[in-house]
Amino acid sequence: MYKGPSSSRRLSQKEPRNPNLIPIMNLFIVIIPMLMTIMVSVHISMVGINLSSSRGGGGEQPEDKEPPKKITLALIPDRFEIQVEGQKEIIEIPVIPVDSISADAGVKYDFITLDKKISELKKEIENQNTIVVLPYSGVKFDILLRAIDICKDNGFPNIKYLTVTKKFYRVQGK
Amino acid sequence: MKTYNAGAIASKTKKSHTVKDLNITSLIDILTLLLLFMLKNISMDASQKSAPEGMLLPTVVSADKLIESGQAVVVKIYPDRILYGTENTNVGSLQDFMTKRSTRKTLLRFLKLEAKEIATSGNKPCLLIQADKNLDCKYITEFIKFSAGAAFANIYFSAIHTDNKNEVLGL
Repeated sequence: MYKGPSSSRRLSQKEPRNPNLIPIMNLFIVIIPMLMTIMVSVHISMVGINLSSSRGGGGEQPEDKEPPKKITLALIPDRFEIQVEGQKEIIEIPVIPVDSISADAGVKYDFITLDKKISELKKEIENQNTIVVLPYSGVKFDILLRAIDICKDNGFPNIKYLTVTKKFYRVQGK
Repeated sequence: MKTYNAGAIASKTKKSHTVKDLNITSLIDILTLLLLFMLKNISMDASQKSAPEGMLLPTVVSADKLIESGQAVVVKIYPDRILYGTENTNVGSLQDFMTKRSTRKTLLRFLKLEAKEIATSGNKPCLLIQADKNLDCKYITEFIKFSAGAAFANIYFSAIHTDNKNEVLGL
């Protein structure tokens, strides 16, 4: 005698079983927060510098054109100094007295004036894209990078890093 | 006055009993796509993209790209130590670097080996310096002079990028 399928079998045939998604969900719960942790919230950028060479540049410039004036920015513990090749005058930007600004310790460099002066120099010497930066030993790295950044932002994409060299000469007989 | 249909009530109760589980297949699909997207976008060279722990990086507006076909070697300069490479190998303190010959020799050997390896693989060796913003420039200058001796002509400083120029100007 024929016996029909059991009720449970009938049920399974009628309703397709959903895949068990719990392990996948568990995996997502682990992976997504992990990826979010790895993800960078602070955007890091790189600021490139060139090393100063003893040879003069200008290989790419046409010979009939006058080479652009060299600009040197010195970072001194109490001021910025900008020297333009062929000009006797040195632009000095002294630090701002701290008392008048805030109660913070140390000195405050005048980046606003530096920005203005660099911008003026760019307008004056349009064909110059390089600026030589000379940091003194006591200047903080933060000041150096801010100064480089201001130069780059004002149309000087090439930054040459100049180092202060000490030369010792032996005096005869001593 | 409101009249109630007995049949309608019965069908409603039947419906509420047969409510199925929430279908999360579409949600899983979205999550899979999100996962793939995030995996694609996350860079594995985390050392170049993230700020080192316990280091205050300076803030800048401008940013340069690493030269084409360039491979960077990361050096982290803390006020009390120098960490080399992605493995953060401690090569000594800044004072050691400035005064001890052995420290300089070790670091130079590391840098030269790395530069040679990068050059052999057809890439240009670049040096990425991550330094604390309160560090004196004399250390940076010394380090640049030093790395130039190890055939690193392309040097980059790491900084935090901002779109607000006033932050850089100190306003």
